[in-house]
Amino acid sequence: MPLRLRLTLWYGTALALILVILGGALYAMLAHGLRDQIDRSLAETAAVAVRALEQHRVGAFLPFADLAAEFPELAVLDKSFQIFSPAGKVTIQSPNLGRLDIPLSRTALESALNGRATYESARFPGGSSYRLLSVPILLDGVLANIVQVGTSLRPVEEMLQRLLLVLLVSLPVALAVALGGGWFLAGRALRPVDAITLAAQRLAEGDLTQRLAVSQAQDEIGRLSATFNAMIARLETSFRQVRQFSADASHELRTPLTVMKGETELALRRARPAEDYRLVLESNLEEIDRMVRIVDELLFLSRADLGEVRIESRPVRLDALVEDVQRQAVVLGQERDVQVMMGTMEPVTVQGDELRLRELLLNLVDNAVKYSRPGEKVELALARDGATARLSVADRGIGISAEAQGRIFDRFYRTDEARAHAPKGTGLGLAICKWIVEAHHGRIEVQSAVGQGAKFTVILPVVTP
Amino acid sequence: MRILVVEDEAKVASFVRRALEEESYAVDVCDDGAKGLELALAGCYDLIVLDLMLPGMPGLEVLKALRKEQVTAPVLILTARSELDQKVKGLDAGADDYLTKPFAIEELVARVRALLRRGTGEAAGVLQVGDLALNPATREVTRGGQRIELTAKEYALLEYLMRNAGRVLTRPMIAEHVWNQDFDTFTNVIDVYVNYLRNKIDRGQERKLIQTVRGSGYTLKAD
Repeated sequence: MPLRLRLTLWYGTALALILVILGGALYAMLAHGLRDQIDRSLAETAAVAVRALEQHRVGAFLPFADLAAEFPELAVLDKSFQIFSPAGKVTIQSPNLGRLDIPLSRTALESALNGRATYESARFPGGSSYRLLSVPILLDGVLANIVQVGTSLRPVEEMLQRLLLVLLVSLPVALAVALGGGWFLAGRALRPVDAITLAAQRLAEGDLTQRLAVSQAQDEIGRLSATFNAMIARLETSFRQVRQFSADASHELRTPLTVMKGETELALRRARPAEDYRLVLESNLEEIDRMVRIVDELLFLSRADLGEVRIESRPVRLDALVEDVQRQAVVLGQERDVQVMMGTMEPVTVQGDELRLRELLLNLVDNAVKYSRPGEKVELALARDGATARLSVADRGIGISAEAQGRIFDRFYRTDEARAHAPKGTGLGLAICKWIVEAHHGRIEVQSAVGQGAKFTVILPVVTP
Repeated sequence: MRILVVEDEAKVASFVRRALEEESYAVDVCDDGAKGLELALAGCYDLIVLDLMLPGMPGLEVLKALRKEQVTAPVLILTARSELDQKVKGLDAGADDYLTKPFAIEELVARVRALLRRGTGEAAGVLQVGDLALNPATREVTRGGQRIELTAKEYALLEYLMRNAGRVLTRPMIAEHVWNQDFDTFTNVIDVYVNYLRNKIDRGQERKLIQTVRGSGYTLKAD
């Protein structure tokens, strides 16, 4: 069931209940009040009659005219009026009763004998309802007469009937109007929800440029829209990153494929000396190695993204690790005539994965050697700074421009200078370094200027003994 | 026919150059966008092979600059991106054709041939001057139905002459379009090769096609 219908129905049901209770209460209170009023006026009338009769000790049957002549106040009463003997016989009757015969009921007579007044309602043939009050008149403690005052209930009944009619007609009308209004209001309130649904549908179809108009009012829908927009913005960014990443990955893999395909096809176009084939095979092998490296590194990064790379947490002597890597790097540097040296060293222990930390350090040193020019120096240093270890690898090579420094940790990002200087790089090494450092709750920084070398500093938390 | 290859990936540039040289084209290679533009504006190339991802200046910018400077040589773009909009942008910026990496050597060579043919108005791909015919696809040269065997350089020279049939071609023009950048124009190599060609094409024929224009250079025409 749509929310709009449900809201309207809930609202309508509640309103109908309130109206019915209100109408019923109004009707009951009015009916009760009117009856009370009648009873009170009957009591007043009876009191007048009783006072008159007690003063004059009316005993025998008298025509009303005589009685009226004797007690003019009785003649102006707007109620019917009867006087009964203690036996229950009518002695005096007011003329406005006409031909209507209202006998004294048994209950009224018994109450009168016990000296109590009685209120009764009676319905007579012809449909007229009467309200009767029978009051005993006691003379020296003995029942002398019974005065009965009565009045027709027709005006009251007519009034109540009219009220009922008004209620029965106006209640459904009011309910219908309220339901219509509720339907309209619910529709208005829910219109933004429809807009969100529509936007979400387009989103599902892949249109990530969708944005909702956020209302200025700080209401629920406004907050929902703002949250929704923030969510789409994040989705759009991550989609763009994924698209950029796969475009970059395909480009990086296409290049070695292009080389291998092109060189092989060229070699096969005609018969050539054996040496030519050997050169092509050697070149192809280089390209295959490059692709293997890219695929390995991509696999590592995607497993890292999925949280599938385990990081050990054991104490690692960083100074021993640096010395070890430096010995390896010296050989690496000799090939390119780059000297790998040790700077200041302090004993530092960190908590982490020795294999990963070694990989991180090797990557940084390998980069430093790769981007140095022959005859230059690379320096490794390790220092303790309070609760952190500062491990730095500095070279004096080609350097990185300020605007590129923010992007070198991005996957596949390589500066033109880096591509020209070391065409075999994959553009993934620093992304892996950054991941390893962050997995160890540390951070990596770079200081560099074009042509003046680069200094990478890894800052890791130290284990406090 | 002289071709400029602007490609930063050294190995790709190398095999493209070798493949084109085997087709007897004169090839210059450049690995930087800005330098490539400079070369293209300075020299007169018959075709430019342009990579889109270049250091110095993006390929698309190089292309736009070339067209702005009224360089009308056909441009074949190489792109590692297979996305449609890259191709559309390249073609809209004035490229004549594109190839997506990795590409087949034979396709590259065929597309280069097709682009060079475009300027001459030939229909079937066969160059024809009088009863002399040259098929760039098969590299077959015939005169009056008689097959003529040519060396690579002779073939390149003849193709250039036939593509510019009727025009007077000076020695520097021939050197630029048929020989490599480092060619020394003071030698008489061109005259030597023209003589080789004459021996193979015009000897014994009643009508001589290759004619010397005194003081200027050579021309090839049917009448």
